[in-house]
Amino acid sequence: MTAETTENPAGPPGKAADAPSPRALARRRRRASAARFWKEYRAHRAGLFGLAALTLFVLVALTAPLTVGSDVDSVTDAPGQPLESPSGRFPLGTDQFGRDLLGLLVWGSRVSLLVGLLAAALSVAIGAVIGITAGHFRGWYATVMMRITDWFLVMPTLVLAIVLATVMSRSLGTIVLAIGVTTWPTTARLVRAQTLAVESRPYIERARALGGGHWHVMSRHVLPNVMPLVLAQTTLIISSAILAEATLAFLGLGDPTVVSWGGLLQDAREAGSVSSGDWWYLVPPGVGIAVVALAFTLCGRAVEAVLNPRLGVSR
Amino acid sequence: MSTHDQHGSGRTARRPWRARLLAAAGACALLLASGAVAPPVSADEGEGGGDSTLTVAVAQSVDSLSPFLAVRLLSTSIHKLTYEYLTNYDAKDNHVIPGLATEWKASPDKLTWTYKIRSDSKWSDGQQATAEDAAWTFNKMMTDPGAATANGSFVGNFEKVTAPSPTELVIRLKKPQATMTALDVPIVPKHVWEKVGDLSKFNNDKDFPVVGNGPFVLTDYKPDSYVRLKANKDFWRGAPKFDNLIFRYYKDQDAAVAALRKGEVSFVAGSPSLTPAQADSLKGEENIRVNDAPGRRFYALATNPGARAKDGTKFGDGDPSLLDQRVRNALFMAVDRKAIVDRVFQGHAVEGAGYIPPRFSQYFYEPAAGQELAYDPAGAAKLLDEAGYRTNGDGKRVGKDGKPLNYRVLCHATDPNDKAVGKYLQEWWGDLGISITLDCLDNVTDPWLAGKYDLAFDGWSVNPDPDFVLSIHTCAALPATPKDTGATDNFICDKKYDELYARQLGEYDTGKRADVVKQMQSRLYDTGYMNVMAYPNAVEAYRTDQIESITTMPSAAGNIYGQDGYWSWWSAVPADSGDSSGGSSSTGTVIGIVAGVVVLVGLGVLFAVRRRATADERE
Amino acid sequence: MSSATDSAPLAAPGAPVAKRPAGASRGRGGGGYPRYVAGRLAGAAVSLFAVLVTSFFLFRLIPGDPVKFMTGGRPVSAEQLDVYREEFGLDLPLWQQFTDYCVKALSGDLGTSYQFHAPVVDKIVEALPNTLLLTGTAFVIYTALGAFLGTRSAWRHGGLGDRLNTGLALTLYSIPSFWLGLLLIIVLSVGVDPIPGLFPTGGMESGGEQGFAHVLDVAHHLVLPVVTLVAVEYGQTLLVTRSALLDEMGSDYLTTARAKGLRDDLVRRRHAVPNALLPTVTLVFVNLGRTVAGVILVETVFSWPGLGGLFYQALSVPDLPLVQGLFFVFAAAVILMNTLADLLYPLLDPRVGR
Repeated sequence: MTAETTENPAGPPGKAADAPSPRALARRRRRASAARFWKEYRAHRAGLFGLAALTLFVLVALTAPLTVGSDVDSVTDAPGQPLESPSGRFPLGTDQFGRDLLGLLVWGSRVSLLVGLLAAALSVAIGAVIGITAGHFRGWYATVMMRITDWFLVMPTLVLAIVLATVMSRSLGTIVLAIGVTTWPTTARLVRAQTLAVESRPYIERARALGGGHWHVMSRHVLPNVMPLVLAQTTLIISSAILAEATLAFLGLGDPTVVSWGGLLQDAREAGSVSSGDWWYLVPPGVGIAVVALAFTLCGRAVEAVLNPRLGVSR
Repeated sequence: MSTHDQHGSGRTARRPWRARLLAAAGACALLLASGAVAPPVSADEGEGGGDSTLTVAVAQSVDSLSPFLAVRLLSTSIHKLTYEYLTNYDAKDNHVIPGLATEWKASPDKLTWTYKIRSDSKWSDGQQATAEDAAWTFNKMMTDPGAATANGSFVGNFEKVTAPSPTELVIRLKKPQATMTALDVPIVPKHVWEKVGDLSKFNNDKDFPVVGNGPFVLTDYKPDSYVRLKANKDFWRGAPKFDNLIFRYYKDQDAAVAALRKGEVSFVAGSPSLTPAQADSLKGEENIRVNDAPGRRFYALATNPGARAKDGTKFGDGDPSLLDQRVRNALFMAVDRKAIVDRVFQGHAVEGAGYIPPRFSQYFYEPAAGQELAYDPAGAAKLLDEAGYRTNGDGKRVGKDGKPLNYRVLCHATDPNDKAVGKYLQEWWGDLGISITLDCLDNVTDPWLAGKYDLAFDGWSVNPDPDFVLSIHTCAALPATPKDTGATDNFICDKKYDELYARQLGEYDTGKRADVVKQMQSRLYDTGYMNVMAYPNAVEAYRTDQIESITTMPSAAGNIYGQDGYWSWWSAVPADSGDSSGGSSSTGTVIGIVAGVVVLVGLGVLFAVRRRATADERE
Repeated sequence: MSSATDSAPLAAPGAPVAKRPAGASRGRGGGGYPRYVAGRLAGAAVSLFAVLVTSFFLFRLIPGDPVKFMTGGRPVSAEQLDVYREEFGLDLPLWQQFTDYCVKALSGDLGTSYQFHAPVVDKIVEALPNTLLLTGTAFVIYTALGAFLGTRSAWRHGGLGDRLNTGLALTLYSIPSFWLGLLLIIVLSVGVDPIPGLFPTGGMESGGEQGFAHVLDVAHHLVLPVVTLVAVEYGQTLLVTRSALLDEMGSDYLTTARAKGLRDDLVRRRHAVPNALLPTVTLVFVNLGRTVAGVILVETVFSWPGLGGLFYQALSVPDLPLVQGLFFVFAAAVILMNTLADLLYPLLDPRVGR
């Protein structure tokens, strides 16, 4: 095994005879392993379903400015009467301002997805940095970092997120931060374990002997190897981040001027749709949250199953 | 990896595991079935057959049951039901009537007040309620800071309180005090309370029934669940018609409304008001009456006039542009009050004008034709231009410091109306070129007292005598130093207004006083510090199949929950139908559940036994 | 402190299951179980202390003056405010407040609630049984259900039943619990034609029933919150049991057992299940700790008078001593359960040995 072939530990060793340059070789190998990944991923039907659902939702969110327009959340030119039940004009009825709920649902997907992605990115970034550095440097640094990680692990996530969202001003940034800084420890632990495993391999020692510094080892050798794990972890965390966003918004900790799925549920409850039985106001945002969270989970499980077939999670 | 002795442990571990699983599944099914068999629970389930129970759904929890500590509306309402006050307010028009005191008079210098205490009021443990109890209550509040927590402001000016005889109470004041016939202080039994150690930590919620002398006796309390009261049959004004009164806690208003719809509760209090959607959906319901009473609240947009203390220290960080009256008026001119009433309150409110709601017709003021700041966005834009706040290239209005105007609007996160109106303001003022940031907080106290806001949603309940709500805008109400908390609402200090306030205080002719009060409102309107957008109705609902009649306050078009007295619950008459059906349905529930349990347990046992038999057989 | 917690991220049912706590293997150090126990307990103590420190300092970040919150904006003179400050020890320097807090906490005193004028410990003790009743009932059911279905699913893995089972578990796991709760209230409590409202809309009791009627009344109120919790929680147990069992089934000794001619279901019940249940046991404890804190939403939706509702009330004032106390309890529950899981693991897992 050469340094570059460790990309996919389970994969066959690369052919290394007539390669023009190591860089091009690496690129080609990466392409090949991506193709292999996709081939195996395709075998997971649930994963494909998740991917399809995600693509659909992302498309809906991205094209929302064209389909529903940014003034869908305007209260002053709301087209309907308050709390109309579904009709041809408003397929999902209207909210208490007379706004079209279908439009709001589409518009809200942008915020829910955005917050989910950003929070997961933040969480995984923190987790990966701490995990890699703690795995690489060992010593007191690792001890301190892992202590902090352990300490965050025992913090009740939701409670801590609620507290953070209360302490800071109500905005999307706050929500992203609250979710991001409370969910990273799992990633940090997994990444650290993987880092330790990678660094125990002989080629790392060789790289060091050839004068590779800390940065070189971490960015060139460790990072590519933990990337698949990070990818799987990200997908799973997005799912929980979307749920967490909805939860915080539902508890009234979101930005009240921004339309999100959790916020819609909170509005629905405040307007009194539970006691009035206005299901059309409550059901769609919840279904949206559930489907997107499920889709991310399915993708994550499929990715995991491809990378670590021994887990046997989905077959 | 594998050893063989684990097979042995597997053998013993297996069966209990399955049995437990079965038991758990059985319990689950049992729970499900218990619900499936049970018909909706009626509010009238009582301990005995003929007991009538009135259940009130509230969305507020009890802070304390000690009259010395409680400040929340629910807790003080309970105290009004369980203790007597010296005076009470008439249900019809709120004028002062006898309570524990039958009559009262002031000395010519207004410094000595003598109250005659009634001799027909008994504590629920049989002892006579006397002037001694009242004197002890007031003295305790004057000497023990722990006892002054809730109502200390009433006795701050007391010099000496004595009870020369069981029926006579004498209060000496340091200087004249206007509230001497409106001392909202529950009188507690001395013989019970003198045994209490530290009043600041005693919550009066351990020994039931709690000794009292109001129309109801407090018999049980579970935090965040319910407060239970029993009718005081010996109440001097007459026994209440309902035998039991329960205040049941719901985490949010919608759950409470759902409970009313189902008949689990007899009454649902708005906190402060049912939402339009709730009111509309309840209106169509059989056996439910929605009480849509003209409110005694105003709903306003307060601007920060530059927070300051009496000693002249300025603090806070209100936007300097708001110090310009033209800006304040322009902002209000861009607020479509009709839209707020129509869309946000959906008709359950009256469009705002003066400071005092139209319900108090005597003092109600409407701006004159030339004075009115009617909805006029174009006029507002012109006014802002005149004031020098012009738009820049991006269409944003720029402040004197060259930065675009952005106001922080303080809103209550718990009030959906604030958030809704906030969305409208964002768009209306956005059209003017002014952006806003909605600062929605669970508790706005801190930025409010520190003057760290630009505009804020504001509202007060107005009493029949408007003195208090008028007084909170005088310079005298400002805090003495930035460290104190003043009585002021939002730091208004206006000389002209203060002069008028002093004039109405010394005016004994009601008609003339009303004129001055209207002038004060006119002044307030012009300054643009308090922009009243609407007067929300008090919307509440009750089940007519459980409550036949109930007194509102004032009796014509008044509200039920949160009255200044015990009239509503004391006067409520149970409906016939509610009683009987309640009793039978609760029996039905119990029988149904028991039957379901028996059947399921039987099936579960049978299933378990059969499974075990086949399993043994197989081995 | 414990890698056992790795198996229970916020909502990642598919995340790899840590097979055993890293320190639990006998290999390094030596010293055996007592030493291991001592290490775990010391770790737990350190974590508890860290939580105490956090709960003290984190809530100092909430902007605003506590005494002004306490007086609710009523007119109060600066002197009176100073009296309150003194009473609650807020006039002392921060480090002294902290040492006072720690010393008092050791003697079981977590301060006095601003809004309820009662010791924080009393308020917590009042609400704790209600939370335990709700979470305990739900916990027993979802653990049993998850383990049972997980076992079945693993044994017939790949089949239609397995796919339905896993699919349903994953779907329910992705549903926001509060939303499910609201829907259950609409359908089963308020009632949608033709279903009549079967269950109470909220709360724990009607108030006033005695004896057996009271028990039934509480059980009646318990149904919907428990169903909600079970629905969103059982999936994780199911998936972990299933994947642990699948892992186990690849092992040599099972093949041996089968080769010996033992019937399939016997192999399953006697060999595979007991071993595969080990990761589930870890998860069970971790879940138990987390559920206490995670119940906030369900308690909010169903007006359940437990710790979650109390926490939310405390936070909105904010009632700092109560918030601190509850935060400590929530975190302590997780620490306690993780430690228990760590301690039990070597005892239960024959492969770790002692």
